[in-house]
Amino acid sequence: MAPRSRPLSPHLLIYKFTLTMAMSIIHRITGVANYLGTLLLVAWLAAAALGEGPLDVVNAIFSSWFGQLVLFGYTWSLFHHMLGGIRHFIWDFGKALDPAGREMIVRIQLAASIVLTLGAWAIFVWFK
Amino acid sequence: MIDKRLIADPKTHYGPARAATRHFITQRLTGALNVLFLLFFVWLVVRLAGAGRTEMVGVIANPFVAIVLALLLVNVCAHMRIGMREVIEDYVDDERTHRLVLFVNDVFSIGVALIGLVSIAKIVFWG
Repeated sequence: MAPRSRPLSPHLLIYKFTLTMAMSIIHRITGVANYLGTLLLVAWLAAAALGEGPLDVVNAIFSSWFGQLVLFGYTWSLFHHMLGGIRHFIWDFGKALDPAGREMIVRIQLAASIVLTLGAWAIFVWFK
Repeated sequence: MIDKRLIADPKTHYGPARAATRHFITQRLTGALNVLFLLFFVWLVVRLAGAGRTEMVGVIANPFVAIVLALLLVNVCAHMRIGMREVIEDYVDDERTHRLVLFVNDVFSIGVALIGLVSIAKIVFWG
């Protein structure tokens, strides 16, 4: 007799799309992005250690439109992941876990990460 | 039967094999420190964005800056290593690939930290 097939868990896509779910996924994506983004930092440091030539190359790449776009995205990714970590600390203490609280806290997080990123770029880059 | 003793025994590979609690604590500790390090990092990047070599060496050779930057690198790499490990554990099922990808993760995380630390040391001691 063939063994009875094991019960399967429902597929991911049957769940209703919620903001907290999206923010959980984004937390992971920004974490992976920050992981790869450390290459930007060490490339910069290594170039500065190596000499004038390599540093000029890295600075030219970072100041190109594509480099600026990547750095802008990296800024948001870092701020967003940091705020997500703080949100998890708040949840670790059992606060803001009710439906209204968790909806509010992810909205605050998203708004804050956008404000911090735009603010940092406005103050330090665009209107310096 | 799966009982408490079976799960607690690391040899059975049931449960976390005693690593999960340490991962949980390490991830939160390094994460909390990273909040402070990010403030320092923003200051450093703003201070040195687009700067020439002389200026970069001038700022990074400062012992306070160099030490904090070195600690930042180690802390960030520890945090991201466990974080990526969690992602790998979730998505890579095949055992050989799993081990290989975990190894690549270690090489990347430790490599990033090492390149950063060596670069800082070069700047501090040899300009």
